Amino acid sequence: MDVKTQSYVTEAKKEMASPASRTFLDFFLPVLSAVREIGMTSFPDPAAAVERARAIRRSSVDRLGELLETFERNAVKAGARVFWAENAHEANIYIRDLVNRHRIPYVTKGKSMITEELGLNEVLKKNQTPVYETDLGEFIIQLLEKPPFHIIGPAINIPTDEISRVFMEKAGMDSASTDPVVLGQAARNFLRDKFRHMRLGITGVNMAVAETGSILNVENEGNIRFNKSAPGIQVSVMSLEKIVPNLDDALHMTRMLCRNGTGQKLTSYVTLDTGPRKQGEKDGPEELHIIILDNGRSRIYDDIKTREVLQCIRCGACINVCPVFRQIGGYPYGWAYTGPIGKLLNPLLLGLDRTRDLYGACTLCKACKTVCPAGIDHPSMILYLRNKNLAADPVLQGEGSTFAERLMSKTAAFAATRPRTWNTAARLGSFLASKLGPCHPLVSAWTLKRTFPSLPPKTYRDLRKHP
Amino acid sequence: MMNKTALFIPCSVNLLLPWIGEAVDRVLKRLDVVSVYPDRQTCCGQMVYNKGFFNEARSFATHFLDVFESFDAVVCPSGSCTAMVKHRYPSLFDDDPKMKQRALDMAGRVFEFSQYLVDVLGVTDTGASFSGKVAYHDSCHLSRDLGVSLQPRTLIRAAQGTELVVLNNGDQCCGFGGEFSVSYPDISTAMVSAKAQSYLDSGADLLVVGEPGCLLNIGTYLEKNHPGKQVLHIAEFLDCQGGENGR
Ligand code: SF4
Repeated sequence: MDVKTQSYVTEAKKEMASPASRTFLDFFLPVLSAVREIGMTSFPDPAAAVERARAIRRSSVDRLGELLETFERNAVKAGARVFWAENAHEANIYIRDLVNRHRIPYVTKGKSMITEELGLNEVLKKNQTPVYETDLGEFIIQLLEKPPFHIIGPAINIPTDEISRVFMEKAGMDSASTDPVVLGQAARNFLRDKFRHMRLGITGVNMAVAETGSILNVENEGNIRFNKSAPGIQVSVMSLEKIVPNLDDALHMTRMLCRNGTGQKLTSYVTLDTGPRKQGEKDGPEELHIIILDNGRSRIYDDIKTREVLQCIRCGACINVCPVFRQIGGYPYGWAYTGPIGKLLNPLLLGLDRTRDLYGACTLCKACKTVCPAGIDHPSMILYLRNKNLAADPVLQGEGSTFAERLMSKTAAFAATRPRTWNTAARLGSFLASKLGPCHPLVSAWTLKRTFPSLPPKTYRDLRKHP
Repeated sequence: MMNKTALFIPCSVNLLLPWIGEAVDRVLKRLDVVSVYPDRQTCCGQMVYNKGFFNEARSFATHFLDVFESFDAVVCPSGSCTAMVKHRYPSLFDDDPKMKQRALDMAGRVFEFSQYLVDVLGVTDTGASFSGKVAYHDSCHLSRDLGVSLQPRTLIRAAQGTELVVLNNGDQCCGFGGEFSVSYPDISTAMVSAKAQSYLDSGADLLVVGEPGCLLNIGTYLEKNHPGKQVLHIAEFLDCQGGENGR
């Protein structure tokens, strides 16, 4: 998928001016957050449930290497084929070759942000293999050729008349309708046909259980279940952090994921499968391929300060509460992941140099950290990324600081330990700032919708000393 | 001698909002608290820290500890400066056990103003009076970083003639974020206008905040777009006696 992280500011402005996005952002996101909170109260002890979830994710990531090996062993024992993909290219080529080897006419896909990260659809398109997204939201954005707006609801912001239009144009719907039931039926008619003749289905993975070699998916539409149970070949792609130690932990994380994602205790479908179809079994794929994707995650793992991001279970809770997301929506993030988790993952996976606005445009309000069931401290990591960017970190591709930035920070640090200098500089600085005039960019930025604060004649310090 | 309470006055208050500092003085005096203003204080270093200049932030932290370490309690009318000292300073010295220990010792003795009144002094009624409806905005660093959210409400409720009303999305960020407000002015002002809207919808006569940054942001926004709608710092509010705001 194209990386558009550099047009953050222009995209943000566009979204803030769009009435459709506004309606959605203003009303739906607070509702989603409220539903989540209600969902959490269905735990006998919500705080303990969160603590347990955070502990599970912390230890899963700490034991990552060992758990992945156990998972591979058990999955292979159950008949799956496991492929370790170092990067997106390797994963895409593996899938493309599989398609070509078996002369697959088209593939169907369940919703997965990981294949957005891979840019798999583009690779298959180049291979002239049609790809049908079978999750309603993904299906809609695929037809509209739009990026995902939200990791849980990729098309959650698209108004029904726009869906109606594109369904008539590209999905065989005969007459216009904004009735969600009619639209759902139209998508169903179109996609059922694809399922009927499907030979290769692709899914993501919500959890990979080391102890049993099973993969678990949650969803509300049943399309992932189709992709996992219909005969033929199933390809499930997981980023390597999706691992959990055992079934018990997997079930707790499932409860957590559903409540935090949609406020449900459990989604309509939860599938937990181990290996391909065995003799005598009625359904399941003949071949199961599990791709374990690294794509830069080992590097994230190696740095103890960034490792924590791998604890994420992609529930989307942080996105719904983020006050910046609530203004600008998902498009400005410019890549697979949006909201606070996108502010971390996109820079870590793509490099700091082309994602500056992602970790820049944050007020450090900590709403994300407060809700995160996986125990991620987003604001601290955002600060760490800013620090690494200024330090021109070679691993994370930091840009380095400008001369002006260095001068400012060094001068400030020098004055901080010298009260006289500090006070003189602070007074002088604020005096000069008060004289900048309305055209200075800093002043015009502040006064866009605010007045410019006037400078009082005396500082508190002066008043205190000479009342 | 170690038995005194020191005031740490944020730069924003010192330079732009000195009357908040004066209000703090008057309220403390009314409660018979003797406070000193250590003359050598400078700044907590939040600005450089939030930009990502961790090394430089260490100079600020070291100086702060030198100045304030000898006091029993340090009181500050800003949630973010308090949180900087309390939570960020210790993390700045991961490689220096001695400094880390000093920072940790300090962390237990620094309090945001309303937190100090309620949790340390055990005061709920400061003798303030304001007749009208008041809404309270939960500043991010106060509510989520310091866990201070009940304390200011307790103090507001106790004021004579005051009715505390609900502010919708009261704990959502107002969009200040220091440099954020000028680096991303469109997003920032969209956020502050949402906050102002909640205030208007609440039907309150007055909005109270505990953070000078939020006060500047919301205050100057209101001044331009809804003149007459007032916002006060919690210290200014508690300084009110009979509806005057002490300015
Ligand atoms: S960072 Fe936390 S809250 Fe955000 S999607 Fe991941 S698990 Fe959910």
